[in-house]
Amino acid sequence: MTDVNDDLLCVADTKLVLGNWFAECVMNGRSLPDFAAMLGMCTASYGQARAIYQHLAPGQEAYAELERGRGPAEIRSMQLLDVPPQNWEDLVMAAYLAEQSSWALMSSLLATDDRAVAAIARKIGEEAYFHLKYATGWFKVIASDVEGAERLQDSLARRIVLARDWFGADDPGGGVMPREGAMGGRALADGFIRNVERDLAPLGFQVPSEPAGGHAIAGSWDQTRRRRDDLPAGLFEVIRFKNPEYAH
Amino acid sequence: MTSESKQKRSTVTGVTDPHSRPRYYEVFARKDSSDALTHVGSVEAPNDDLAEIRAWYVYDQHRWREMCVVPTDAVVTVRPRAGDVIRIKPV
Repeated sequence: MTDVNDDLLCVADTKLVLGNWFAECVMNGRSLPDFAAMLGMCTASYGQARAIYQHLAPGQEAYAELERGRGPAEIRSMQLLDVPPQNWEDLVMAAYLAEQSSWALMSSLLATDDRAVAAIARKIGEEAYFHLKYATGWFKVIASDVEGAERLQDSLARRIVLARDWFGADDPGGGVMPREGAMGGRALADGFIRNVERDLAPLGFQVPSEPAGGHAIAGSWDQTRRRRDDLPAGLFEVIRFKNPEYAH
Repeated sequence: MTSESKQKRSTVTGVTDPHSRPRYYEVFARKDSSDALTHVGSVEAPNDDLAEIRAWYVYDQHRWREMCVVPTDAVVTVRPRAGDVIRIKPV
């Protein structure tokens, strides 16, 4: 698999997990239209994951293996989504950061020569607009509530460390292999942080700055998976494809 | 409206944040550029962003070419519904 395809699989698996987050949390929606929005984002996330799987493994067997045959050590979702949401504010923030960071990476593929990949990136961009707007709409509501704002700030502080980590580093010692002509991990991370600050700073939320030398996160970095550890067993049980005999 | 009924209404509409003020929005959409922009429904939301998103996901029966939301309280009534035919104050 090329490094572009490695990145695509990381995004696809992140969307798979994010879709499952929405499916699991839909009953926590704040109103009936919220249920519809969360289910819409759930199916859109699954659709994005499957579009990328089909691109990476066009054959039926290869596709089935990619979608249903992999174990927790092979799933490449963002570690940001490993810990389940602790409250409503944490759900909104984690989904926002996952969308914003995966879009930062996909948007770097909009101008790629591979038209199929560029088309997938465009489609994800169309849908990311709505997913991000859902989160920023809720940020405005939460910002007006003192306790909710505290929970949102706390979630941001905890999760943005892992969101930043997902981009890797540019230095050769970090084990990153930027594609020729593509933006490196640092440039993508900077763009991601600019977008987060643009959305959150006007509402009074502070995006924590990265300490010199980066945050200390347990585990050694695996650029291919964009992870440091295997997917937790509990999360794998939630996201694994059940009853594959029903699939066709 | 009593505070009790306000509380009840708030629960029914699902707005749990006491600081948010739900607004109602009318949703208009068209399937292609030859269609007129048509009223397809309404949504309640605490702000414009969530109104946009809720409308998009609730009224997703077609692949709309265009969709707009308008705050209901921004609508200026030209001709009211039956019952108020004479709007001018009698002398």
